Amino acid sequence: MENTHIVKKFDKNLDKLKARILEMGELVLHQVEDATAMLGAFDPVEVDRILQLDLTVNGLHKEVHDRAELLITRRQPLAVDLRQTLAPINIAGELERIGDHAKSTAKRGRILCRSSTEETVLEMIRQMSTKVQEMLFDVLIAYTNDDIELAAKVRMQDKEVDTLNKNLVKSVINILDSQASGNSESLIQLTLVSRNFERIGDHACNIARYVHQISTGEDLKASI
Amino acid sequence: MVDPIISARGVDIFYDTKQALFDVDLDILPNKVTALIGPSGCGKSTFLRAINRMNDLIPSCRVSGSLTIDGQDIYDPAVDVVALRAQVGMVFQKPNPFPKSIFENVAYGLKIHKLSPSKSELQDRVEWSLQNAGLWNEVSDRLDQPGNSLSGGQQQRLCIARAIAVQPKVILMDEPCSALDPIATAVVEDLIDSLRKEYTIVIVTHSMQQAARISQRTAFFHLGTLVEFGDTKTIFTTPKDERTQNYITGRIG
Repeated sequence: MENTHIVKKFDKNLDKLKARILEMGELVLHQVEDATAMLGAFDPVEVDRILQLDLTVNGLHKEVHDRAELLITRRQPLAVDLRQTLAPINIAGELERIGDHAKSTAKRGRILCRSSTEETVLEMIRQMSTKVQEMLFDVLIAYTNDDIELAAKVRMQDKEVDTLNKNLVKSVINILDSQASGNSESLIQLTLVSRNFERIGDHACNIARYVHQISTGEDLKASI
Repeated sequence: MVDPIISARGVDIFYDTKQALFDVDLDILPNKVTALIGPSGCGKSTFLRAINRMNDLIPSCRVSGSLTIDGQDIYDPAVDVVALRAQVGMVFQKPNPFPKSIFENVAYGLKIHKLSPSKSELQDRVEWSLQNAGLWNEVSDRLDQPGNSLSGGQQQRLCIARAIAVQPKVILMDEPCSALDPIATAVVEDLIDSLRKEYTIVIVTHSMQQAARISQRTAFFHLGTLVEFGDTKTIFTTPKDERTQNYITGRIG
């Protein structure tokens, strides 16, 4: 889309920065998917593996930061280049938080396996998970292609996740009120998991805002 | 809205038959630093030199259109060029002190423009100029030494002192830091920022970072045309024209 730099290495530096973000994104996307699977079918070895991924994600976060710092020192980027250098630092932060929510979800699978879970609520969770994975996938594509329209689509989906979260909370309250279920602990855990997915949706939206900012220079957070 | 101090309308500049500037409209606002940027040969220095008629020295150079300072036509045949240059001072890329003492370098303009009638007044004026150029503390005990005995950065500040001694309205600077080390550059940049309280500064620079650091307004020239002109922040963060973006980010257009 854009013209190449006269200094070819500048393009390579920016490409590598982008590649690290995509690597991080792919990892946390899998973390979210795999953590969701642990809610209905707990596997301690798999949960440990999901938790261990955190180290790789943190390592990549640090690498993004270091690369951006070096790029600023060497190239003194301006305009779109500066945004392409600074945004990854923020995006990496958002991805790391998503990873944390995936970890938290996986850990709750351990508690959920001790009691019977409410299948209807679990199904709502799966729906939320699918939705936020879709958002995360789309926002990574939007970032790859500087596609601000796709980024806008991701931002629009945040409300859907919020609605799913609210509906889930309502359902849990109804079940608890009617005392139709004896497994209040698992219901509360599922509510907390729902909150994790709601936050993941927020982080995906934040990334979408950075994608918008890279191309346009416009900070949507400031204009809200 | 503040009135511009310098106003260009439809300015074309030719060297013989070759046109160097095409239809430039540009307003320079008072007490601002305006940076002119662009690749070599884009016309930015030609425009700068047109403001105090330095181009008069080149016989083949022809200027058309309107270029005014405080509403007065700079190219009106009745304009006294020496008086114009007292209003519009200039600092060059390479420090060019006269082969005279530090004192005489600063006093020179005051003498030729007969701006300091008495000796004590002349001394006061020289001290004031050196103070304002941030050089006084370094040279006050050796004013009789040759100007070219100073370091490069000091020589450039001496040239700035010489320029401000006659209290011009505008100071033109043509890459004033390109021959200086980073420390001397920082000192001159700090000086430029303090000078803009009293003067209007127009600076040509090849350093994008310098333009971003010291100017409030930036004009980007390309192939003899003014492509984009606006707030420095906008030019260096969200330029409108793709040619500006390519230039400031070092891309192949």
